[in-house]
Amino acid sequence: MSETVPPLVQARGLSKKYGSRIALDHVNFSVEAGRIVGLIGPNGAGKTSALRAILGLTCYEGDLSVLGREPFGNRAALMLEATFIADIAVLPGWLRVDQAVDFLDGVHPQFRRERALAMLAKMQIAGRRRIRELSKGMKTLVHLALTMAIDAKLLVLDEPTLGLDILARRGFYDALVNDYMDATRSILITTHQVEEVENLLTDILFIDKGRIVLDCSLEQIAARYAAVAVSEEHVAAARAENPFYERPMPGKKVLYFEHPDFQRLASFGEVLTPSVSDLFVAKLS
Amino acid sequence: MNTYIWLVRREFWEYRAIWMCPAVIVCALMLAALFGRVEVAELGSPEGNSGMAGMALFAFGMIFFFVMTIYSSWYLLDCLNADRKDRSVLFWKSLPISDTAMVLAKLFTGLVAIPIVYFTAADLSALLMAFIISLRSHSSLGSALWQPDLWLQLQALWLYVIASIAIWYLPLAGWLMLISAWARRAVMLWSIMPPLAVVLAERLFLGTHVVEDLLRNRLAGYLAVAFHHQQGAGWVRTPLGGAGSIATPISVWRLLDPIGFFSSPATWIGVFVGAALVCGAVQLRLRSTEL
Repeated sequence: MSETVPPLVQARGLSKKYGSRIALDHVNFSVEAGRIVGLIGPNGAGKTSALRAILGLTCYEGDLSVLGREPFGNRAALMLEATFIADIAVLPGWLRVDQAVDFLDGVHPQFRRERALAMLAKMQIAGRRRIRELSKGMKTLVHLALTMAIDAKLLVLDEPTLGLDILARRGFYDALVNDYMDATRSILITTHQVEEVENLLTDILFIDKGRIVLDCSLEQIAARYAAVAVSEEHVAAARAENPFYERPMPGKKVLYFEHPDFQRLASFGEVLTPSVSDLFVAKLS
Repeated sequence: MNTYIWLVRREFWEYRAIWMCPAVIVCALMLAALFGRVEVAELGSPEGNSGMAGMALFAFGMIFFFVMTIYSSWYLLDCLNADRKDRSVLFWKSLPISDTAMVLAKLFTGLVAIPIVYFTAADLSALLMAFIISLRSHSSLGSALWQPDLWLQLQALWLYVIASIAIWYLPLAGWLMLISAWARRAVMLWSIMPPLAVVLAERLFLGTHVVEDLLRNRLAGYLAVAFHHQQGAGWVRTPLGGAGSIATPISVWRLLDPIGFFSSPATWIGVFVGAALVCGAVQLRLRSTEL
């Protein structure tokens, strides 16, 4: 699939500077169709800069193509096929839910009014309510319902669940996976709460200090990385295999390896595939 | 086009005062007309009566015009700032609407749509007032209010005013929008302080007042450019009850000066400067996504 269909997002040497501070330093990555890519990094790593560049919200240096277009200066055209939720509570407080639906229906050719109304009905949100009267979780769900009613090829989510309680966060991601995702769409999502998205991602991009430190699919993780819990007496021998990270546990150490010899590792203990959050900590420490 | 209609409608949703404010004034005027004391002097000549009636209707219009000027300026100063303050700008930017369209829709709202709302409200209240007053006063002033020609003149005056202020005050609107798109906070201060500082600096260091004159001519020069201001032929002087008298034109047609307005270089220089300032606001809008 990826050989014939050009990637939805392709960045080559993407850079962004704010004064003398470098937010993105010659970054390369791509997002293919039908994938859910997590752009993961600590605060200030350059996640938001990358998303802003992709969405045409900011200028940048380097080559960037989103849905075949250069995003900056073409934002309006781009938003016919892509859409985003930038943060919580970005719907204006004065807007009524039914006004939001009417407005989107009026200006967005890809907006599916029936779908939006069905989702809002499911969430039991009355149309006459103003956004400012809703709870934080409700606001986000309304925003998600409106966004999911747009037939977009690319959906970008920037810390979409920041400040929400666990129930609202779970509701958000359940709706996203069950009601929205299909093979024709792609989602690019940034978060620093790795645990909450790792089960839905197909690809991960780790970013730190403006550079990509890891770019691989979840299937590749099992082939590329291994974590082994090694008891104290085998630690010295295991260290000879070049672990890139160690984590102490009671009575043993967990060692992380990249491109290891899996058979040799098996002699030190049970070989596991590290979780995305473990890998995140290991890669960024 | 369809998008622009939705964008202007959106402004009416956000700024409900656009129609609530004139509605309140209409209601207040109605209450005054219904329950206030009507003491209108019976004037001698029919010309005098007609002039008075015209002035009365014009005075209602001026109330609306005055409030509209203040509200519209405030709107233009707030319109590109409010959605950055509540961060909803990112929601609007997630829609297939260009920044140029968003800025132009707001400019249109502030410079044309809001005046039209006030113009309609002024007309409506003048109509109701004339009706109430003619019922209550039983004077010849009452009948003087019901002249088709007078109403026609009033409509022409309002339409001319709407069109000409939109053109004349374009640089002011552009400046307010530029500040609105640029400033993080204290938009009011930022809109006033820089010009004031330039004026004071010029006085202090150069001893001249070029900028001051420029600003004054723009802000206060509208009437002089858009209207014939010499009194004389075609004006009637009506003595009032006291010592004074009031001068009114026989016809509004003698007042309007569209040829003078559209042939004045000041008009077109203003349009040019205003367009440049609006372009600046679009550029800022394109780049700034948050406060």
